[in-house]
Amino acid sequence: MFSKFVTIVIIIFFSLISYGQKQDMALIKGGTYIPLYGSDSMPVKVDDFSIDVYPVTNAEYITFLKENPKWKKSNVIALYADGAYLRHFKDELTLKDGENPNAPMTNVSWFAAKKYCECQGKRLPTLDEWEYVGMSDQKNADARSKDDYNKFILSWYEKPSTYHQEIGSTFENYWGVYDMHGLVWEWTQDFNSVLISGESRSDKDGNQDLFCGGAALGSTDLMNYAAFMRYAFRGSVKANYSVRTLGFRCAKSLK
Amino acid sequence: MIDSQLKIGLKRFASFSLLLGAASLFSCSGGSSQEKGVSKINPEDIKVVSEMMAELTAPPFVPASTANRQATKLIVDMEILEETGQMADGVDYVYWTFGGTVPGSFIRTKVGDEVEFHLKNHPDNKLPHNIDLHAVTGPGGGAVSSFVAPGHEIVFSFKTLKPGLYVYHCATAPVGMHIANGMYGLILVEPEEGLPPVDKEYYVMQGDFYTKGKYGEQGEQPFDMQKAIDEDADYVVFNGKVGALTGDDALTAKVGETVRLYFGNGGPNLVSSFHVIGEIFDRVTVEGGTLVNENVQTTLVPAGGAAMIEFKVDVPGELVLVDHSIFRAFNKGALGILNVTGPENKKIYSGTIQEGIYLPEGGTIQSMPEKDEKDAAPIVELSKADKMAEGKKLYGSTCFACHQANGEGIANAFPPLAKADYLNADVDRAIEIVLRGKSGEITVNGEKYNSVMTAQNLTDKEVASVMTFIYNSWGNNGTEVTTEMVQKVRNKNKK
Amino acid sequence: MKKQFILFLTVLFSFGMLNSCSESEVQESSPEEELKTEKKEFTGELPELSVYNLPSEWTNQNNENIRLEDLKGDIIVAVMIYTTCKAACPRLIADVRRIHEKVSDKANKQVKYVFVSIDPEIDTPERMKEFAIENEMDNDQWVFLRSDIEDTREFAAVLAVSYKRISPIDFSHSNIISVFDQEGVLVHQKEGLGVDDSSTIEAIEKLAM
Repeated sequence: MFSKFVTIVIIIFFSLISYGQKQDMALIKGGTYIPLYGSDSMPVKVDDFSIDVYPVTNAEYITFLKENPKWKKSNVIALYADGAYLRHFKDELTLKDGENPNAPMTNVSWFAAKKYCECQGKRLPTLDEWEYVGMSDQKNADARSKDDYNKFILSWYEKPSTYHQEIGSTFENYWGVYDMHGLVWEWTQDFNSVLISGESRSDKDGNQDLFCGGAALGSTDLMNYAAFMRYAFRGSVKANYSVRTLGFRCAKSLK
Repeated sequence: MIDSQLKIGLKRFASFSLLLGAASLFSCSGGSSQEKGVSKINPEDIKVVSEMMAELTAPPFVPASTANRQATKLIVDMEILEETGQMADGVDYVYWTFGGTVPGSFIRTKVGDEVEFHLKNHPDNKLPHNIDLHAVTGPGGGAVSSFVAPGHEIVFSFKTLKPGLYVYHCATAPVGMHIANGMYGLILVEPEEGLPPVDKEYYVMQGDFYTKGKYGEQGEQPFDMQKAIDEDADYVVFNGKVGALTGDDALTAKVGETVRLYFGNGGPNLVSSFHVIGEIFDRVTVEGGTLVNENVQTTLVPAGGAAMIEFKVDVPGELVLVDHSIFRAFNKGALGILNVTGPENKKIYSGTIQEGIYLPEGGTIQSMPEKDEKDAAPIVELSKADKMAEGKKLYGSTCFACHQANGEGIANAFPPLAKADYLNADVDRAIEIVLRGKSGEITVNGEKYNSVMTAQNLTDKEVASVMTFIYNSWGNNGTEVTTEMVQKVRNKNKK
Repeated sequence: MKKQFILFLTVLFSFGMLNSCSESEVQESSPEEELKTEKKEFTGELPELSVYNLPSEWTNQNNENIRLEDLKGDIIVAVMIYTTCKAACPRLIADVRRIHEKVSDKANKQVKYVFVSIDPEIDTPERMKEFAIENEMDNDQWVFLRSDIEDTREFAAVLAVSYKRISPIDFSHSNIISVFDQEGVLVHQKEGLGVDDSSTIEAIEKLAM
């Protein structure tokens, strides 16, 4: 009897560990808010969902590659990933020297990130979900008008090579989620819902309803500029791009 | 009959040849205009021959002239780098650059060139960028077609239609921030025949920078958006940092050389009142266009604008490039040096010819009207202490300007009174000098002095006080000078 | 002890099996099957850049379920619109119609003009059929497709078409006409409304055999 009990305990113990090796997720209570591009007449509603506490790491992605060889650099098709895919890898499954396995995984395309999340039974967060979680600082769910919050983000834009930092090295926000800012840009499910032509000066007119927020530039410019950069970045990438400073994390609906 | 027919014939011939002559005159001028007409070709129709890689240079240097080549397909390879650099001593700043420098690489083209522009965004960069070249005719100046994410390259092409000196800059939102971080440079479109050659050509671009800390505050300074919006610059500099054109990096020229500055203003906000201290601009192509102004002291260069400035240097010395909104030059860094070496030309500029003292009361020895009548009033002699006090005051208002606060005098000009052998040797002689002045050479403490001391307009009592103070200070021999002694010397020559 | 140890190992092993993503097997088998229903001369592996590599499933205006690869063999001119769009889409459709008129008859026989819906919730097959009839596009030359929200987003990502819902019935979207060759590789794109379409027509003619 006792030996049976021990077996059960051992089974439970290992199952707990193996689930722990998967991403921890934080529960996000839904709400309504007006994003950068929004207008007062169109607040965005976000349902309850959960999101990874940390961005996906190099080590985690390597595990995924082992189980899904179609996504190795030599196998992946050009439709799904461009030439920069896994550029920081020495060979199919090994990082280059000097790369940190616990740093966020970058140089992955949207297709690759999407597939990774699907394999975890999850998905990429939507842009609205991402911004909803990202607009919090340590204490407040919506810190967008706070100077410190915006200055942190703007100062990150000037720091080189933050993709080398370990996950968890920036602040834990209101939801218990780390590294929404300060490490890497992150893919979202609908990153291509950003209509920027790159000619930012003409983005403000025409049928570009997206940036009617641009007309509201005034004393809250700090807040707009910090967010602007994220939108500008999203508008500059295509789905098969792999970028050194672009990683991702997964999310999951609760319904 | 024949004669008249001949006359008519001749007349006809004459008028015909006149017509011919006139016609040929016109055709000649037509022909010459055809030669000049090369420049009258619509630039759009200029054909390009072959292709070449553009030579891009880092400031302050520019690529070689395009005069000796025809319009060509010019391939420009421009890389964008986000990197930390030094703004001033001990002050670091993260610059976003075209080609690794602020301002970005200088692009030299010729009218009619077809420029194939390769814009590369380094994979380690964080942000997407693009480029707007003011020399481009087309949407966004190229910005619409050059939006590029990090680790990617984008190519677009344009034809240079109008000669001039143009600014280029990044135009990705927020545009002000990208420009403020250093993403600007100059592109030159030379006319058909190239610009006339000069001895020295330099590339200088002004920019204003906005940092979290004040001017000079140490450490890595992040960009401050609010200050940029308020147009409250901390640094206004040439070529991206304080001192970029000073010391070892100063521009150079030799006496007699012609200098051309390709001067741009990247902004983002401030207009430049560009002036070179010690020089007059012979020619300024106003706003980088075709209009030329001559003999200009200070020229206005708008934000996002440029000017070509030419002058010939005639005398040696340091010419100082400044933004004549002068606090920017001396308190924010808008200062550069052009070092001119070579023989002097005293006629144009002599340097200091002489210097001397200037005494507002008048020049040489003055004499007071003699007081013949002896002082009827009884002489009330002050105590030594009182004399010291009064003497000190008198010294401070009368003597110290030349002999200095502690009697040390000024080398080669005014003899010392401290531990002065000349003073201590003969008190009457000293009193006489105070009363009547002195000129000619004397030797004090081993040094020669040959100057002029004027007679001092003091009463006997005052002379006694100040001389007592002098003799009892700074290691002198401690003589007490009395009013009587002074009177005696004053009356000496009359007897 | 030994039994228990083996049991423990088995449990661990089965956990490992469960955790791996098994989708890869499904994907590997499908391309081979599709090749057997091949229409024209294009055999062999799909090029890496072919959009037919996408496994998504679509429904057309005749309520038929297809996969994108079923379009293989034809030249595809594709735009993304939605039927209730009042502003840009009518113009975009007019642009496509104009291209159809200018393209030679010979080429048109090999072209399918495909409208992919941005709003699959409203654009049901019935609605798309109605729309096709309204616009006199109810024949084989014109294909209307819709899928689920996620696959629509994926297709748009391949085309680099951006779109965003801006009201309960409206979307803001980029206006791009894309041309794919017979193997599904994107060869040409033109952005904008009422712009110069000569390069698009040239691209189509070039592909026609």
